[in-house]
Amino acid sequence: MQKTRKGLTPGLIAIVGFLTVCPVVMLILGSFSEGLNAFGTFTLSKYVKAYTDPAFAEILVNTAVFTIGSAIVSTVLALFLAYLNTRTNIPFKFMFRIISLIPMMVPHILFAVSWVLLLNPSNGMINLFLRQVFGWEGAALNIYTLQGMILVEGLLDLPIAYLVIAPAMSAFDVSLEESSKVCGASNLRTLVRITLPVLRPAILAAATLVIVRSLASFAVPSVIGMPGRIYVLATHIYRVVATGYVTDYGMAAAVGMSALAASITLIFLYRHLTREGEKYVTVSSRGYRPSVIDLKGARYPLFGIVALLSFVLIVLPVLVLFYTSVVPYSMVPSAKAFAMMSWKHWIAVLKDPVSLLSLKNSLYLGVGGATLGMILSFFVAYVIVKVRTKAAGFLESLSFLSFSFPGIVVGIGFMWFFVQTPLYATIWALLIGYIATYLPYGIRPLTSAFVQIHSNLEESSRVCGGGPFYTMRRIVIPLLIPGIVSGWILMATMFVRELSLSVVLSRPGTEVLAVQILRFAEDGLWGRLSALGILMIFISTTLVIIASRIGAKLTKVDK
Amino acid sequence: MEISIKGLNKNYYSEGKTIVALDQVDLTIPANRIFTLLGPSGCGKTTLLRCIVGLEMPDSGEIAIGDEVVFSTEKGIYVPPDRRGLGMVFQTYAIWPHMNVFDNVAYPLQTRNEPREEIVRKVAKTLHFVQLDGFEKRPATKLSGGQQQRVALARALIAEPKVILFDEPLSNLDAKLREETRKELRAFLTELKITAVYVTHDRIEALSLSDTVAVMKSGRIIELGTPRGIYFDSDRRFVADFIGRANFIEGKVASVGNGETTVDSAIGAIACEKKINASPGAAVTVCIRPEFIRVLKGDHKVGRNIFRGRVESLVFVGDAYEGEIRVGETLLIFRIEPTTAVREGEEIALHFDPRHCSILLN
Ligand SMILES: Nc1ncnc2c1ncn2[C@@H]1O[C@H](COP(=O)(O)OP(=O)(O)OP(=O)(O)O)[C@@H](O)[C@H]1O
Ligand SMILES: [Mg+2]
Repeated sequence: MQKTRKGLTPGLIAIVGFLTVCPVVMLILGSFSEGLNAFGTFTLSKYVKAYTDPAFAEILVNTAVFTIGSAIVSTVLALFLAYLNTRTNIPFKFMFRIISLIPMMVPHILFAVSWVLLLNPSNGMINLFLRQVFGWEGAALNIYTLQGMILVEGLLDLPIAYLVIAPAMSAFDVSLEESSKVCGASNLRTLVRITLPVLRPAILAAATLVIVRSLASFAVPSVIGMPGRIYVLATHIYRVVATGYVTDYGMAAAVGMSALAASITLIFLYRHLTREGEKYVTVSSRGYRPSVIDLKGARYPLFGIVALLSFVLIVLPVLVLFYTSVVPYSMVPSAKAFAMMSWKHWIAVLKDPVSLLSLKNSLYLGVGGATLGMILSFFVAYVIVKVRTKAAGFLESLSFLSFSFPGIVVGIGFMWFFVQTPLYATIWALLIGYIATYLPYGIRPLTSAFVQIHSNLEESSRVCGGGPFYTMRRIVIPLLIPGIVSGWILMATMFVRELSLSVVLSRPGTEVLAVQILRFAEDGLWGRLSALGILMIFISTTLVIIASRIGAKLTKVDK
Repeated sequence: MEISIKGLNKNYYSEGKTIVALDQVDLTIPANRIFTLLGPSGCGKTTLLRCIVGLEMPDSGEIAIGDEVVFSTEKGIYVPPDRRGLGMVFQTYAIWPHMNVFDNVAYPLQTRNEPREEIVRKVAKTLHFVQLDGFEKRPATKLSGGQQQRVALARALIAEPKVILFDEPLSNLDAKLREETRKELRAFLTELKITAVYVTHDRIEALSLSDTVAVMKSGRIIELGTPRGIYFDSDRRFVADFIGRANFIEGKVASVGNGETTVDSAIGAIACEKKINASPGAAVTVCIRPEFIRVLKGDHKVGRNIFRGRVESLVFVGDAYEGEIRVGETLLIFRIEPTTAVREGEEIALHFDPRHCSILLN
C-alpha cells in the first residue's frame, strides 16, 4: 500500500505535467520556428511579422474592449442577482440555481447563433419584424458589432460571475450592515457604502475571471465578431491558421504567446484576489440567517426581470433554434411560417455524412474522454487531498495551470506537438487535448468530495472490522459517487460542445459537433445548423440524465 | 481485558520539525474498569488511543491486549485495526452519512458476514440498550448530536468487544446534554463490565466517570491514580492545577512534627496536616483549593491558619460566590455559600482547613 502510494505521485506528476506543460513548451518552440515542417529552425521572423502587422493594434483594442465590457456586463448582472437572492425576499428563489447552472444546458456557440438569428442585420427575426410591422428601412439592430459581442458574452459568463459573488455575498457578516442601519443609513446607502466595498475583492475576482474566460472565448467572436469584421486575439489566431491567408502556425504561436501571458497574469491576479477576499469577508460561525430586506411592491417587478433573464438565457435560444430548424428560411413567426414548416433541414442533417460523423465523434469524445478524464482526476484528487506531501502540492498547482489557458492557444501548442507524432489528425489528438484543457473541471468536484470524507469515517470502518478493500467498497466509493458523477457530467458536456480547441485540432475525418456547427454558420446554413444544434443539446441533456440516474442508483445500493 | 503498554514512542514529522507525541509510555490499563486519559490539548492522548486501536503505528514499543501482543517492534508484530476486535467512539462520531441507523450499527456484524436474522436481532437489542428503539430506518444525517453519539456507541458495542475506546465523545454536545450523557455512559459501562479507555481534557468528566485516571503531559504519563487520590493527594503542581482550581503559596518548611508541618509563607505560617517527607528549610509550595477556604465573620484575631484580607472581587455564579481576596501581597481565590453576607471591599478573616493544605515539593 505504502509503496504503490509512493509511486503514484511521481507518475501523476509525469502525466499531468506532460498534459499541461507540453502545449506551452511546444507553443514557445513553435513561435520561434519557421513552420510546422521546419520545427526547431530558429527564427524571430514570426514575432516580427505578428507584432508589426498594422491591424494588430486594433485587434488588441478590440480584445480589451470586448473582455472588459463583458466583465462589466456579467459582474453587474451577477451582483444584482446575488443580492436579490441572498438579501431580499424575492419569490421563487430556485430560479437562481437554474441561472447558475445554464452553462451546462446551452452550448455557447448555439447561444451566440440564436442571437445572430434574432438580430442579424439582413434577416434577423427581430429586424424582419420591425421592418414588416413598422416599415423601418434597413437594419434597426445589428448584432455584428462590438456591443453585440459584449452583450452576448456578458450573458454567457453571467453564471461564472454569479458563482464567485453569491457565496461571498451569503458568507458576509450581516452585522456590518445592521450597524450601518442602526446609524441611520437607508438600505441603498448601506449597500453603496458598506456592502459593495466589503465585497470588493469578490467582485474584482469575478470580473477578472470573466475577463480570462472572454479572452479564451471563441464562440462569440467567431459567430458574431467575424461576420462584422471585428477581430479579437482568438479569432485573429484562428484567421492565421484556418482561413483565407496562407496558414502560418509560427505566427499563430507568436500571437498566442501574448494571449497566454495575459491569461496567466490574470489568473494570478484572480488567486490573489480570492485569497484577499477570504481575509476580508468575515464569515461568522454562528448559524445566523442574514436579515432579509422586504422588497414590498418591487417584489414582483424585480422577479419579472429575473424571469426575463432566465427566459433569455435558457428558453429563448432553444426556441429560436427549434423554430429555425423547421422553417425553410428566416421569417417572422406567422400563419404563413407555420404552414411552411417541415423537417427538411433535419433530414438534410441526418443524411449529411460529415454531420453524422461529427455526432459520432463528439459522443465518443464526450463519453470516453470524460471517463478517462475522471479516472485521472480521481487519482490526482486522491493524492492532493490524502497524500499531501510537497510533491502533492506541486501536482495540485500543476493540475490547475491549464485552467488559465485559452483553448485555441493550447490547440496551437498541441498542433506543434501532434504534427511530430502519428497522433496527428486522429481522434486521440482531440481526446488528449480535451483532457489536458479541462482536467481542473474533473479534479475540482473530486477534491471537494475527498475532503468531505473525514478520515475518521474510514478509520471507524477499520476499527469495526472492515479490511482496507471492504472499507473502500462500502464507505469511500459510495461517498465519492456524487463527486464522480458531477465531475463526469461536467467533463462530458464540455467535451460534447468543445469548440475552441477543436477548431485547431480537428481535421477531415475528426470533425466534431461544434466545429460542424461553425462551418454551417460560416456558410449561412441556419436551418441545418439549428437542427444539429438541437441534437447537440439533446445529447448533452441525455448524458446528464443518464449519469445522474446511475449516480443515484449507485449511492442507494447499500451493502 | 487488560491492556499493557511498554516503552511506547511515537514522533511526528511535519515541516522539518519533530513532534514528540508519545515519550516512552509504560502503562497497564486494568480489565473491566473505566480508565481515563486526562491532559491538556496536544499532550498525546489521541495518539495513544490510536496506537492502541492500531490506526497509528508507534515508532517503538509493545502493546498487548489481554494475552495477545498486537504491536511490537521487537517481535515485528502489527495487527491491523480490523483484526483487533475493539470498539471505538470517535470524537466526530464518524457516523456514515450515506447509510441509515440500522446499517451504521449493523456494520461490524456485516463485516463478519453474520446471518441476517441474527444481525436484525442484535441491532434491535443494542438500539434498545442505548434507548434508540425504532430508529433503524432513520437516515444517519437526520440525527441530533446526542442521537449520533448513541449510534456511535451502539456501533462500538454491538460486536461485544472486550475493550471499548472513547476519544472525547462528549465534546460536541452542549453543556446540559453533556452532563446527562456522562451519567448515562457511566451507567452503561458499569452495567456492561467492559474495559473502557476514555480520553478527555475535561477534568469533571475524568473525575466523575472513571475508576482510574492517568494524567498526561507532553507525551508522558505523569500521574496515575483514583479520581480522589489525584484530586486531593497529588504532589505535582501541574496535576493539582490541571485537575481543579487551586491557590499556590510559596514558602519554606519551618517545622515538622506530630502529623503537622508548618510552612512559613508571605501570608504567614500555614499549618498542613498532610504527610510529607521534607525537612525544615526546604522550599515548598502550599496548595489549597478554594472550597477549603472558610470565611469567618466578626472580629477574629489572627491565629492558627487564620488570615485577614480585603475582598477584591466577588462573582455570583449561581450555586456559590467565587471571589478573590488580597492577603498582604498575595491574591487568593475562594468559594463560599451564596447566602453568606460578604461584600466587595470588606475586610474579612479566612480559615484554611489544615487537612486540605497539601505541600508540593518544588
Ligand atoms: N498526523 C499528525 N502529524 C503531525 N503532528 C501530529 C499529527 N497528529 C498529532 N500530531 C501532534 O502530536 C501531538 C499530540 O497530538 P494528539 O492528537 O495526540 O493530542 P491530544 O492530546 O489528543 O490533543 P486534543 O485534546 O487537542 O485532542 C500534538 O502536538 C499534535 O500536534
Ligand atoms: Mg485528541
